[in-house]
Amino acid sequence: MTFSRTTAVAGIASAAAIGLLLTGCTSAGNASDDGGDTELTVTTFGTFGYDDLYAQYESDHPGVTIKATNIDTGGNARTDLFTKLAAGSGVSDVVALEEGWLGSVMEVSDQFVDLNDFGGADIASRWVPWKLDQGTDADGRLIGYGTDIGPQGLCYNAPLFEAAGLPSDRASVAELFGGDDATWEEYFDLGRQYQAATGKAWFDQPSFVWNSMVNQLPEGYYTSDGELNIEGNADLEERWGWLTQGVADGLSAQQARWDWGGGKGFVDGSFATFVCPGWMLGVLQGNTESGGGSAATGWDFADVFPGGASNWGGAFLAVPATSEHQAQAAELAAWLTEPAQQVAQFEAAGTFPSTTEAQETLAADATPNEFFQGAPVGAILAERAQGVEAQFKGPNDSVIQENVFQAVLDRVDTGELNAETGWAEALKLTDELVDQ
Amino acid sequence: MSVTLSRPRRPRATKPETDAAAPDRASPSARSPLKQRLSRLDVKASPYLYIAPFFVLFGLVGLFPLGYTFVVSLFDWRLLQGQGEFVGLDNFAAVLGDRFFWNSLFNTVSIFVLSSIPQLVAAVLIAAVLDQNIRGKTFWRMSVLLPYIVTPVAVSLIFTNMFNEQYGLINNVLGALGLDPVMWKTEQLPSHLAIATMVNWRWTGYNALILLAAMQAVPRDIHESAALDGAGAVRRFFSMTVPSIRPTLIFVIITSTIGGLQIFTEPRLFDPVTAGGSARQFQTTVLYLWEMAFFRQNFGEASAIAWLLFLIIVGLGALNFFIARRISSAESRRATRRIRRRLAQLKGQPADRMEDHS
Repeated sequence: MTFSRTTAVAGIASAAAIGLLLTGCTSAGNASDDGGDTELTVTTFGTFGYDDLYAQYESDHPGVTIKATNIDTGGNARTDLFTKLAAGSGVSDVVALEEGWLGSVMEVSDQFVDLNDFGGADIASRWVPWKLDQGTDADGRLIGYGTDIGPQGLCYNAPLFEAAGLPSDRASVAELFGGDDATWEEYFDLGRQYQAATGKAWFDQPSFVWNSMVNQLPEGYYTSDGELNIEGNADLEERWGWLTQGVADGLSAQQARWDWGGGKGFVDGSFATFVCPGWMLGVLQGNTESGGGSAATGWDFADVFPGGASNWGGAFLAVPATSEHQAQAAELAAWLTEPAQQVAQFEAAGTFPSTTEAQETLAADATPNEFFQGAPVGAILAERAQGVEAQFKGPNDSVIQENVFQAVLDRVDTGELNAETGWAEALKLTDELVDQ
Repeated sequence: MSVTLSRPRRPRATKPETDAAAPDRASPSARSPLKQRLSRLDVKASPYLYIAPFFVLFGLVGLFPLGYTFVVSLFDWRLLQGQGEFVGLDNFAAVLGDRFFWNSLFNTVSIFVLSSIPQLVAAVLIAAVLDQNIRGKTFWRMSVLLPYIVTPVAVSLIFTNMFNEQYGLINNVLGALGLDPVMWKTEQLPSHLAIATMVNWRWTGYNALILLAAMQAVPRDIHESAALDGAGAVRRFFSMTVPSIRPTLIFVIITSTIGGLQIFTEPRLFDPVTAGGSARQFQTTVLYLWEMAFFRQNFGEASAIAWLLFLIIVGLGALNFFIARRISSAESRRATRRIRRRLAQLKGQPADRMEDHS
């Protein structure tokens, strides 16, 4: 008797516990709606420079709290987003998309809201036209508001240039590389000259140089019609030859990308040049500082880029269809991409704006950047953005870039592969990894 | 105080209840048939109810995903686009014909061998030392478990930093000694050694504690009498300790096999920008599965990899079990033979002794 009584009690208790759990779950899910207080989640990556803007938005919009997450690199942000999209939940109300994997996102663009439904069409004139086009899917739905673009200039270390007997002030360096007619051949020749004089490397590792070269071409890994464009592509093969020759000549410092020995690589003089899209300036500064360096380390930013105008990267803000606060999320995304906020973002992180008004503001702005030896970074980037056009990104662009070419270049860097075996391996890998 | 005060009252409070129950017990026929049936049901069904939560949870988070993964593996299934058309066993064929799958299997086995074997030997030795009468027992036992408490991500980050090729502690020390730096991340064997080191760091102490618990269950008087008979510490360890902890040893071997084949965190974070190295030199099977599912977005093939890995683990686990059983039964056979030989000797001996005496 007592036995069965305890069972009954236990049964009631567990039923009550389950009930509690269930109510606990549901009430947690509805809390934001009931309270009148909206919590918007935002996910960005890399160095986005939004922290002060969130605070400003929160104080301008009482009742809105922003819960922000920043993921270290674009590659990890991509995995994070795709995993959550596949799971059908967990995507932030506002999520940053990177240009490199926009191709994959566009294949499932219906999982994001059409921002035109939330006033996107009214503000469309804000952006440079190609950026707006990139954020629009095949059906004309606007998926992402453009944040920044990635016009590239050349970062160089002035003291190292001096030590090698090269000119070190910004204007002379731009001229040294050839000014408006700067070419990659000239870049590698100067590298060989520098290497002969100092015995040191010219760039950190080959994959960023490669990304810059590919992004500069009118068509990259894909043709504009979406066909794979690697095998037999003379432009790519020629650039591959220059780069692998440079590596063979000892121009690479064999650094680990996105790590650089915890930033020490930027401080100890391992390499003298670094390809710098706007958003990379914040990365360079952050790594130099965590590696123990400062403005005194001597990194500078020159208004020149081998091979002419180049755009690497850039981001968009999108609102997933699963968001419970689509209108408020779209409002936040629109506000964050307003010209004034884009200028603030540039000041915080060096990301170059994608709206014409903000670009004009920066072009007229010669504010010296303390870290980069007083370089007018905004004005230089505005200059570098002249003639930049977006390149078509196919669905597997980021797989080809990261799992094929970066992987092979790492092996070229260690000397395991050379120009020919490396190219063959890249073709083979493309064939194996990319479903056509 | 209040507890002791309230105690005596309890039996009194429950007494009326037991009194009321007494007549029931005395005359079962007085109970209503419904009550009787309920109580019989209670006796029969309750045990199952008590163990049900585990099995329900296991079914929900273990068995169902296993079955669902198999279903996914039969389809052309993309991460973002979802289910495509039925392809039968094509995904399995594609995976079995994939050089990266075999490469990942080789890496997994290599890292497993490099970690599990030294780890188990070290764990048995550490447990044997901790089993002795040493000062500050608790301190030593706690210290051994410490690496296990640290999260694997933190361990991986620290070790990854130490094994850094250009700026890492280990290569700096090697350089200071005038030795060539080791390419911990680029070359295959060094990278496997580095990852095995992380795994060993984390699991040796844990296994040592499990083995220690088993050793402590060995009755001390057997040890004492063996010592009195003149068996040394080493002899006692191999002839008594090891055989008596065999079941635990088998358990530890099987769990470390399963764990060893599922290594993910350490190789994933050893080079955070690639999935197991540029040349996949330390890409384990689970890491390859991850790359297939979340980077290359091929869920179908990823599920096929998951199932193949499952089958391999089940196979290896069974093999482990049978080998361990075979060893143990061979040992006992040898022991019986030894006893029989002794008995035979003893039978012969009295006669000799008698002769001596005469």
